[in-house]
Amino acid sequence: MKNDLITLDNVSRFYGEVLGVNRVTLSMPPGITSLVGPNGAGKTTIMNLVTGLIRPTRGRIRVLGLSPTQSHKLFGLVGYATQFDAFPKGLSGFQFIYSFLRLFGYSNAECKRLANKVIEQVGLSDAAGRKVAGYSKGMRQRIRLAQALAHDPRVLILDEPLNGLDPLVRAETINLFRRYATEGRHVLVSSHVLHEVDMISDQVVLMSGGYVVAEGQIQSVRSEIQERPVKILIHCKQPSLLASKAFEQDHVVEAQLLTEGSGVLITTRDADRFYRLLNHLALSGIDIEGVTPADDNVNSVYDYLIGGEEKMSP
Amino acid sequence: MMKLWYGQIVSVVRLEMKKTFFSKRGLWVYLLAFAPVVLYMVHSVYATRQRQHLAQLATEHPISQAAFNGIKTGLSRDQVVAKLGEPYWQRTRYHHGGNGKKRSFVFYRYTDGKNDVSYHFEDNKLTWIHRRDPDTLPKSQLIFATSFQFYFLRLAIFFGCVGIFVNLFRGEMLDKSLHFYMLTPMRREVLLAGKYFAGLLATVVIFTSSTALQWWAMLWQFERGVIVDFLAGPGWIQFGAYLSVTALACVGYGSIFLAVGLLFSNPIIPTAVVLLWESANPFLPPLLKKTSMIYYLQSLCPVTAPPDKNMPPLINLLISPTEPATTLTAVTCIVLLTLLVLVLASRLARKLEINYGTD
Repeated sequence: MKNDLITLDNVSRFYGEVLGVNRVTLSMPPGITSLVGPNGAGKTTIMNLVTGLIRPTRGRIRVLGLSPTQSHKLFGLVGYATQFDAFPKGLSGFQFIYSFLRLFGYSNAECKRLANKVIEQVGLSDAAGRKVAGYSKGMRQRIRLAQALAHDPRVLILDEPLNGLDPLVRAETINLFRRYATEGRHVLVSSHVLHEVDMISDQVVLMSGGYVVAEGQIQSVRSEIQERPVKILIHCKQPSLLASKAFEQDHVVEAQLLTEGSGVLITTRDADRFYRLLNHLALSGIDIEGVTPADDNVNSVYDYLIGGEEKMSP
Repeated sequence: MMKLWYGQIVSVVRLEMKKTFFSKRGLWVYLLAFAPVVLYMVHSVYATRQRQHLAQLATEHPISQAAFNGIKTGLSRDQVVAKLGEPYWQRTRYHHGGNGKKRSFVFYRYTDGKNDVSYHFEDNKLTWIHRRDPDTLPKSQLIFATSFQFYFLRLAIFFGCVGIFVNLFRGEMLDKSLHFYMLTPMRREVLLAGKYFAGLLATVVIFTSSTALQWWAMLWQFERGVIVDFLAGPGWIQFGAYLSVTALACVGYGSIFLAVGLLFSNPIIPTAVVLLWESANPFLPPLLKKTSMIYYLQSLCPVTAPPDKNMPPLINLLISPTEPATTLTAVTCIVLLTLLVLVLASRLARKLEINYGTD
């Protein structure tokens, strides 16, 4: 196995009976990898698993060949900025970075140098002496980022790192990710907004309900979603007629009449074309009472991510 | 490697210092620790003033010891006054009996400069004599031993350790800031050791300071010569023993409550169980006694606390007398018990997950 990969092999994690992630198999090479999905999709669970903050219920994880349980070795290589917006009490920005750098075994002088350097890097030099408790949300986000960057890790893991950042800092932060990626390091970021990360990502992992629904380069992920068959439930007075009309279309994979004769379940590879067909059939006299996407998993991700992006486009 | 671990432990102690010493949540620990100091100090000030007051009264109205010895119950008030003179303090009360007869109750107080003697007359007859002895050092030592073993060890240090050690992990889980430690290349065992030493530093400093101040406040009322003689005799050894027992109590209870903080989301029930076990120690059979921390700590105390005279006979019967452990056995057992608990806690720490949502 190559030692420059982050790999998850059939990894599942349950919180009691609640699913965190299920049967996730991923292989992440150096570069920027984005975990994208709505809230509750399992992005943070994946990050916590990779960093050993939680353990998988089953499956195997390796980060550059190391198990996340070997935290004393792992965190020399990994920096993780979590989403937890809490800090040890009473520390200034500088003290926060400095104090935790001391735990890496650096000398006093080295800790000071690294702390000052990283604080400058995230643009918090002026606020370094102030208590973190008094920071704005964006500043707290940046100091967390600084803590992850401070020891110059080979793997940078950032949970929703662009949340709360103003446009200028956001651009600087993205540049920082790019620089890290071009140096051959791993940058694993999460986001619930695809368009936020798709421009910078070398690889995108789309997640929903604890499952990986698509992964790869952004273009292939888009087409993978678009080509994935979608189930649509139609309630109508003439289900047999609607099924036969639908089945004439090449993108319709399956048409299944409901047992009570109240409708039909259509499986199509092109939802947009099918919806246009439905409009046409309705105009031609078929009485359609209701249309419901029956495959929430992929549809919700699609609507949420791709649909959201389209709405935002000019 | 040892140098790295040492550096990491020192860094954790530094980070925890503010939380263990100056947390608002922990102010009650200072109250528990220093309340006895205030009580000893108030008592010492009162006792000193009282002693000076009685000496002054005795100078103004000297009474011989023979005169005191000649006072017996059954004497009349006039007979008492004839022998001792007028009292320095008196009070009269009247009470209407069931038959409508008015009865008088008179209290006289006299002093020979050291003892304070009260005489209680009912209808002009002396019925009761109470002699209040002055505070002596042996008496104060027994009071100190009782207060130390039954309040300071069992309650103050016990709950102080609960307040400080439980919060080392549980408090950070509640604050959602424990993960910062987990994101550093530090072994969980080293983190546990760092947090334990941070808690130990705080509790040892707070409680040994309190013990030292209590000791000083207890001695304060006595004359310099008495104190010097006492310290030259068993005094310093007793003082050292009390400080050591205080520190060992922090060592032992600290390890237990560090583990409790790691293992339980709600520490109240396990704390109550430990408290019950420690409190039930006098009633446990000898073998079980030896599984509690308080048995070894009490064995190390230099003065045995006197038994409670007011204890009901039935409960007194349930107490199982056991020989105290030798110093070597007691210290060894406390250290071994502590190490055992810390090893178990380090196993828990290794498996610890950051899952604030379910905590």
